Amino acid sequence: MAPRTLLSDIERRAWLQTFEHGLWDVAIGLLWLSFGFSILTGYAWMTPVWVAVALPSLQQSMRRLIIPRIGYVAFAKRRRRSASRVTALLSVTALFGLLFFFLTSWSTQPDAPPAITWFRTHMLALIGLIWGGALGIAGWAADFPRLFVYGALLFGVLLGADLGLPYDMAEGLLAIGGLITAAGLILLLRFLRRYPTRKQDTGEGADA
Amino acid sequence: MRKRTEAGNDPIEIDRLIHEPARLLIVAHLYVIDSADYVFLMQRAGLTWGNLSSHLSKLEEAGYVELDKEFVDRKPHTMVKLTCEGRTAFDAYRRQMKSLFADLPEEGGD
Repeated sequence: MAPRTLLSDIERRAWLQTFEHGLWDVAIGLLWLSFGFSILTGYAWMTPVWVAVALPSLQQSMRRLIIPRIGYVAFAKRRRRSASRVTALLSVTALFGLLFFFLTSWSTQPDAPPAITWFRTHMLALIGLIWGGALGIAGWAADFPRLFVYGALLFGVLLGADLGLPYDMAEGLLAIGGLITAAGLILLLRFLRRYPTRKQDTGEGADA
Repeated sequence: MRKRTEAGNDPIEIDRLIHEPARLLIVAHLYVIDSADYVFLMQRAGLTWGNLSSHLSKLEEAGYVELDKEFVDRKPHTMVKLTCEGRTAFDAYRRQMKSLFADLPEEGGD
């Protein structure tokens, strides 16, 4: 691997700083929590409602909490392309989810071939592989290393549930969601302490 | 716009406008990103508002950066971007610094 030049290091540090605040972690953690709760309670509407509430809240939190502290930066095309890659990846994952739903529904039919029945038997491990894999690839595409860990955790927990460890999918998702949310909140508190608010264009703090 | 001294091919003739440490950090950051606001640059370059403002004025005067003032939520917000001229000057500065150090012997100079 070629050594990083100082300039690429400067750019990467600036990029990584945009993930330092932990809000993304809180959002991901709450998403898994909402999945877990919706499976546990049977309220399937919980996740879409969460997404509808979370996205504007996340945007507002970024505007009020994060940008006044670290400022706003527009990254070069390379980084903007990586955001498009993540969006494309999430769309592909959604398509995989639909395919998976179709295969699982088919597996309940009496004439379903054994290969399709296998999908139903190992549903949890496959969901873990799809979601965990998507998180891992998103982590690679967005250069956001913590997503690898979250993806691996998700896959591990769902694989454990599939292999018969003493918990079900909902409990596994609640545990992971709680853990990621807690990690995000710790990062957020550390971020808020580390970066005090700076006022824009007011001349405050000027020494000249 | 006042044009500052630009370095030629002679490595001794370094672009002093970019060479100053704080401005070098500002220009290096703007070189690798598209644009940024004051808060980002203050924080990354470790400067106060006044210092940053003063350095940016000099860079703007030389035509190396452009300031885009806008209002966000009825508050003034300034985005800073490196101009093509600034990018070319920084490229030239990098080449000159490389050539300046290229022929030096390894540590000690014996």
